[in-house]
Amino acid sequence: ALFAGSHLLKGYRGGHVVIRFALGGCTNRPFFRIVAAHSRRARDGKYLEQLGCLDPLPNAHGERVAGLNLERLRHWLGCGAQLSRPAEKLLGLAGFLPLHPMTVTGAERRRRRAQEPAAPPPDGSPGPGDAP
Amino acid sequence: PPAEGEAAKPSFADEAVQNLLYKMTGLNLQKVFRPVKKELKPPTYKLMTEAQLEEATRKAIEEAKEKLIMPPVLKEREPIDDVLAEDKFLEGTETTKYVFTDLTYSIPHRERFIVVREPNGVLRKATWEERDRMIQIFFPKEGRRVIPPVVFKDEHLVNVFQQDRHEDILNMCIAQFEPDSPDYIRVHHRTYDDIEKHAKYDLLRSTRHFGGMVWYLVNRKKTDGLLIDMIHRDLLDDTTSLITLYHMLHPECQSAKAAEEGKLQGVDLIKVFVKTESQKEGYIQLALQAYEEAMATSTAS
Repeated sequence: ALFAGSHLLKGYRGGHVVIRFALGGCTNRPFFRIVAAHSRRARDGKYLEQLGCLDPLPNAHGERVAGLNLERLRHWLGCGAQLSRPAEKLLGLAGFLPLHPMTVTGAERRRRRAQEPAAPPPDGSPGPGDAP
Repeated sequence: PPAEGEAAKPSFADEAVQNLLYKMTGLNLQKVFRPVKKELKPPTYKLMTEAQLEEATRKAIEEAKEKLIMPPVLKEREPIDDVLAEDKFLEGTETTKYVFTDLTYSIPHRERFIVVREPNGVLRKATWEERDRMIQIFFPKEGRRVIPPVVFKDEHLVNVFQQDRHEDILNMCIAQFEPDSPDYIRVHHRTYDDIEKHAKYDLLRSTRHFGGMVWYLVNRKKTDGLLIDMIHRDLLDDTTSLITLYHMLHPECQSAKAAEEGKLQGVDLIKVFVKTESQKEGYIQLALQAYEEAMATSTAS
């Protein structure tokens, strides 16, 4: 019936389809659903289609399980959907898209920080700080 | 080591082989349709004429034939070892591996893409065990569990065999594993070895596992116990089918050549076979004698 539709047929101005993660699960137990939705919708709200899932916590065999419906993903990408950054990174890791540059940059930064030899000696004084 | 072509070495799926194995399996309706544990319902009684009873028996035989279709016997599968990408600079970014499964509904499970990104950055195809687990998680099948039950380990199989539940464990194995997985083959071989050791052939008769067992025994030339069992139960046709199958699979043995030349049938075939190929000659001769005496007394009386 039409009168019930006034809340469901929310009309947005602008906005586009994105493929992003919707968070679900319980306290201290996250679970992501990879979802195609309007960009203006709530993160966990009504979506167009679920394209997969990701369990960020490792299971008994020490692996993080992710499922991706590649056929429907290709369909939505063909319809002009955009991807959120974590979704791009995940697809880069999966091999569906090329590796995201931030993944590479993050790895380099981490390595540089780990390779810094002994941390600079802790100074009591604030060093070249701003003296009032 | 002969390089036998396909025509020379018959495989499990050949029509002739399947016919022989099916004849040997027998069709004991009472055992095939024995009550399976279901929810408790009071029995239904139907009043039928002779013609209707025949019709019902005929339908039952057709359904029994379907239940007796033999599960395939395949070679053990090769482990998957394929690296898709090596990105060594990702080392140390993650601590655990990622397993990605392609959830497209319309592709068969054998062709599904399941890849693993290791913490050292290598993107490889998943091993067969990982594949089976992931497919069971996302496309669950009836009777199959994500982690195979502990009962399939060797030390627990012993208990199962002591309780004479070979058929149940084989049914569970078919539900749980793929036919070409090493676990499936291992469980089946253990079951067949145990049956052969204790001569419990009747447990599998009239089930769909009988053909596989016969195939295994004939390939390893351990058919003596089965022969004795068949002669004791007066199943001469089955003995001849067994020996025919043996000759089909091992055409270079003496008794095969003798049978070819002499075109022997029935008891003669068995006698030639026993003389040349069997280890337990004495037992089989005794059994044959007992059978012939029984035949003589029954025809005389």
